[in-house]
Amino acid sequence: MKEVLKLVVVLTLVGVLAGLILSYVNDATEAARAYQDRLELLNALSVVLPEHTNEADKDVVKTAKGTKYYISKRDGKVNGCAFVTSSDKGYGGKIRLLVGVDIKGKIHGVVVLEQHETPGLGAKIAEEGFLSQFRGRDIRNTHWKVKKDGGDIDQITGATISPRAVVEAIKNGLERLGQDRDVIYGGSNVVQ
Amino acid sequence: MSFSKEFTKGIWELNPIFVLVLGMCPTLAVTTSVKNGLGMGLAATFVLLCSNIVVSLIRSFVPDRVRIPTYIVVIATFVTMVDLIMSAYFRPLHHALGLFIPLIVVNCIILGRAEAFASKNSIWDSIADALGIGLGFTLALVVLGSIREVLGSGSILGYPIVWKGFKPILVMILPPGAFLTLGLLSAIFTKINNTRA
Amino acid sequence: MSDGLVVSSSPHIHSPEDIGWIMRQVIYALVPGAAIGVYFFGLPAFNVIWISVVSCIGVEALLQWLMGRAITVKDGSAALTGLLLAMNLPPTSPWWLVVIGALVAIGLGKQVYGGLGNNPFNPALTARVFLLISFPVQMTSWIVPRPFLLRSADAVTGATPLGAIKTAVFMHGNLAAAGKISLMDLFMGNVGGSLGEISAIALILGGTYLIYKKIISWHIPVIYIGTVFVMTGIFWLINPGVYANPVLHIFSGGLMLGAFFMATDLVTSPVTVFGKVIFAIGCGVITVVIRLWGGYPEGVSFSILIMNAFVPLINRGTRPVVFGAGR
Repeated sequence: MKEVLKLVVVLTLVGVLAGLILSYVNDATEAARAYQDRLELLNALSVVLPEHTNEADKDVVKTAKGTKYYISKRDGKVNGCAFVTSSDKGYGGKIRLLVGVDIKGKIHGVVVLEQHETPGLGAKIAEEGFLSQFRGRDIRNTHWKVKKDGGDIDQITGATISPRAVVEAIKNGLERLGQDRDVIYGGSNVVQ
Repeated sequence: MSFSKEFTKGIWELNPIFVLVLGMCPTLAVTTSVKNGLGMGLAATFVLLCSNIVVSLIRSFVPDRVRIPTYIVVIATFVTMVDLIMSAYFRPLHHALGLFIPLIVVNCIILGRAEAFASKNSIWDSIADALGIGLGFTLALVVLGSIREVLGSGSILGYPIVWKGFKPILVMILPPGAFLTLGLLSAIFTKINNTRA
Repeated sequence: MSDGLVVSSSPHIHSPEDIGWIMRQVIYALVPGAAIGVYFFGLPAFNVIWISVVSCIGVEALLQWLMGRAITVKDGSAALTGLLLAMNLPPTSPWWLVVIGALVAIGLGKQVYGGLGNNPFNPALTARVFLLISFPVQMTSWIVPRPFLLRSADAVTGATPLGAIKTAVFMHGNLAAAGKISLMDLFMGNVGGSLGEISAIALILGGTYLIYKKIISWHIPVIYIGTVFVMTGIFWLINPGVYANPVLHIFSGGLMLGAFFMATDLVTSPVTVFGKVIFAIGCGVITVVIRLWGGYPEGVSFSILIMNAFVPLINRGTRPVVFGAGR
């Protein structure tokens, strides 16, 4: 009996101590982690959005269906927005993108937030050389397929699956944007 | 045994990768570049050092029957700390190592050293052991990472080092490349050890 | 051995004269296929062949010398690996690709395991898959075949029949977009593809010679090709709009080359007849699965390598009962 008691006491003690230490570390790093999260988002937004003067990560419109749009404003006037879109059809699973568009719905910039593609091959979708081709495209002026499938988007040599997934994600995102336009820009003073 | 002897054995005679062949999962998965190998090695070394110290400290009053759960709790605590701290202050590295940080908990090297060494030796020796084994692990990961990064991406630490027209051997940064490189390095390691013996 | 094949049991490995003779016969049997490759793809194809053979022999000699083993390049096995590797490469392969292939085939495919007779995987295929994964661009750039005499200066790029089918099905959901593929061209070799895989007739000729010489038994090639025929046939009957007909399947891609010359590799295929049957069916099924539903248009190399891994298990499971011993 005494033996069992000792086991329980020691394990409990170790567990409680570990819990205390971890909760302390969690609290101590919370601000820094939140700061890093925000920094990442702001960095990404500054790449994809048109020139803006507001804090776009705090200027958010959420649609009834739950899609989040980061609104970009210059001197108080809305000039675009950004949204997250994703596809599960990547070679290594999910690909998440942040797409920024101007007020007319033309893409201003795209960054990859998450991808698990093959390094050196499919992972090239995250590089500037691939992503820059989307600038200026919108849902109407582009046939949203990779060239190998008869569309307008350059694929990556040796990798077709990853670009296909990116194209699918962007196309879906733009279509959603078309439907949500009124909600996003509804109350704001829109600059044409 | 002296401090220096405990320290050096981990780098060569008891090299965790090439001789003990422990911790293969992170070894094969993260060594696609020097940077990732180094980050993983240092993170694991930190956890190993902390866990060895604590395990050595509490070795006299932890009952035998619950020693493994105790070690796991100790190791898991340190791993979670590393995870949180890295996420707060070294974000890019945290992204690169991703899933493999939490997996340090089940890295056999750390539990192995707790069980085989720290639970039977003084703090001083346990520190030496942790530093030696950790350094051996880190060095092995860096060597693997360098070979795979040079051949598979044509760069080292992200800087291109090859001539124009060089075509990277993609397979080297894919899983088969990890096995090939590890196998060949282990063979060379064994050969050198056999010759010295 | 019930079928009286001299070479099916392993002691031949210890007799250098026999190895040399066998290797020479296999090389002779490969000559028609290689010659048709050179006929249709010209000088670049010829260069790929000699670079591959010379570097395989060179790498083998170098490694054996480095490891202090007896240098056995005269037995012709390295030359044969070189020839097989060349026949598995695109005819336009740059020289460095061929040399890396030779290093992998002899170094990682053969010598690390202890040399001839100890390698679990076919060396030439190991190298082909290594290159395919590492250099997808170079390894899938095909040119349109043109007979030697009608050759103009520039090579025209084109797709392999299986590649065309895969793209058509993926993009349009049916075969129509692949265009008409002439079975006669497939049979003779007037199609795009790896250097030595294009001509079914030349490969069947060489394979028949090997069976006649009793170097290989008929089981693996016939059952392998038969499995592919039956399986693709079933799917063709179900939906001919999406699945190509079985005749096209057996005459295209690397199937003939793989079935006659690589699945039958004495070192990496099962010993008993029953084992060979299992091995061949496995190769056939995996090939069809990859061709019809996989990411790659062709699956012969992968299927043979995967089944190579099962050979020790197959050999264990099909070991004949010792005479007089109970089950």
